[in-house]
Amino acid sequence: MRSKAGVALLAGSLLGGLLQAGVLPKIDFPKDSPVSFIGADYGESNESARGGAMLLDLHAALSLRNSSQRRIRGITLIVTAQDVTPGGKGSVTVTSLDVGPAESFPVRIDLRLLRPVQGGGNAPLLVGLDGVLFDDLGFYGPDKLNSKRALTLCEFEARRDRRYFKQLLAEGGPEKLQREVLDSIARERDRPNVDVQMVRSGRATNFEPEKQVQFAFLNLPDAPIEPLDGMAKIAGNEARAPRLDVKNRSDRAVRYLEIGWILRDGQGREFLAGAVPAQLNLAPGQKSPILNDTALRFPPRDGQPLAIEGMTGFVSNVEFADGSVWIPNRADLAIPRLQKIVGPSAEEQRLLQIYRKRGLTALIGELQNRDR
Amino acid sequence: MRANHPPETELALYSGNDLSAWRSWGIRRHLAACSECRNEVKAHRDGLAAIHDAAVSETPGHGNWQRLSLEMTGNIRVGLAAGECIAGFEKTIRPMKPRLLWHTALVFAAVSLVSIAALSINLSKDERNGLFANLGKIRWERMFRPLRPPSFAQDAVVLEAGPAEIEVKSNGRALSLTHPHSDGGTVSVNMQDSAGVRYVDADSGQVTTNRVYYAQ
Repeated sequence: MRSKAGVALLAGSLLGGLLQAGVLPKIDFPKDSPVSFIGADYGESNESARGGAMLLDLHAALSLRNSSQRRIRGITLIVTAQDVTPGGKGSVTVTSLDVGPAESFPVRIDLRLLRPVQGGGNAPLLVGLDGVLFDDLGFYGPDKLNSKRALTLCEFEARRDRRYFKQLLAEGGPEKLQREVLDSIARERDRPNVDVQMVRSGRATNFEPEKQVQFAFLNLPDAPIEPLDGMAKIAGNEARAPRLDVKNRSDRAVRYLEIGWILRDGQGREFLAGAVPAQLNLAPGQKSPILNDTALRFPPRDGQPLAIEGMTGFVSNVEFADGSVWIPNRADLAIPRLQKIVGPSAEEQRLLQIYRKRGLTALIGELQNRDR
Repeated sequence: MRANHPPETELALYSGNDLSAWRSWGIRRHLAACSECRNEVKAHRDGLAAIHDAAVSETPGHGNWQRLSLEMTGNIRVGLAAGECIAGFEKTIRPMKPRLLWHTALVFAAVSLVSIAALSINLSKDERNGLFANLGKIRWERMFRPLRPPSFAQDAVVLEAGPAEIEVKSNGRALSLTHPHSDGGTVSVNMQDSAGVRYVDADSGQVTTNRVYYAQ
């Protein structure tokens, strides 16, 4: 197998003894994959003992090639270490790509693997392909991580935001585009970002009294789903078991939706806690409850214990039974409360980075040249 | 010594609501007909109020009784939780035998009733109110049930996400995805199965999202 040969070769040539070949990830793509593995650079990777554990610090720059005839927009790689974390796995997704046939592109994987020394053997790390999205919204891959939906949503957001920036450029020239870019950079800087721990089923502590807190909702006028009611259990810095009632107010059946979950702490600061998803079959006009048993815990912010006081929900995306998706439009996202909390799309982040690194002219060139 | 009047010590205890319910009733009857003792009680109460004001103004934080009360309630909860833990432990090492017969249960019930009656007669009003208030704060629904194990325990699979890295860990083993080549990331949580962070690679300008999942 070509990937195995590549790994063995690189282990000898690039690592200089830092890593044994056995701890390198096995890159395993399907035979008919539209993406092929060319090689990898494991530059600063190393493995060391930490007390009774071994720590693998892997920095891989994979080089992949588009071996299909279509342009690639996004890719998701799945990372598993079955013997180390049998209860979990990881993924690396690159979006907003524009890779033509036969072109190559890099994917970085930076990971740390902590495992007990006892038990011996090497870390059986496996990197596989979960999905590839093309410019015609076609998809390839086993889709074990629901990559098709995630990549499609990203692509729709990318098209919306590119259209928006192009419109600004057409209406008000470079000045108007620059103003919006600077505003977006400022919002990104001020946006609260919190650490979060997540566990299924149950609470982390028994000493904080738990209370039921009612959801308030932000109404997005053209959302196909209307949240009717909802509550969750709150105890100090923990929020768990959200329960929501929603109604399909569109004329199409819905098979998946996500409700964004905004939490407010005792000082009135709001932050986006996560998304409450639901896989369902909701006919037009039908109502349905959404239940979730997951618990979220938030560590102190700015040295202060975080006490959750209130929460707000909003419809963040919807997938219809026919595979098409709904996402909030730019007017929805301009609602001040949402604008302060919800981060930019992957595409907007990429465009802002182009402005930061290469300036306004490069950004305008990018908007004009990349045909969507 | 005053004839036909309650002793001064009892008047003092009555003024501070520290007398039992039975004796308080007797004093109240006497006060209704005796202006001399009423004045005595008033003088005691004025003195108590002055002492209380002085104590509050000299206590750091001006006597945060609410906080003290909460701390005491917290300690009671910790005690109850510890008791439940020990009860569960004893059950595992000493198999239960159905030795509690009906007559034993009746004796227990009778003793409990007598104890409650004796307490309610002999406790002062404030003590009684305090007792009932604290009983009201006990979470009865959780008594005699095994303590739910903390779900973030060592053997639970926990997903952690922060702007610098994300991690899935259990039993001292961990898989972390980092992004050393960026200035920070945006955390996102999907409550169905995953947590992630999105960042822009400073070198390539690519937008990458790292996620960790529960295994299905």
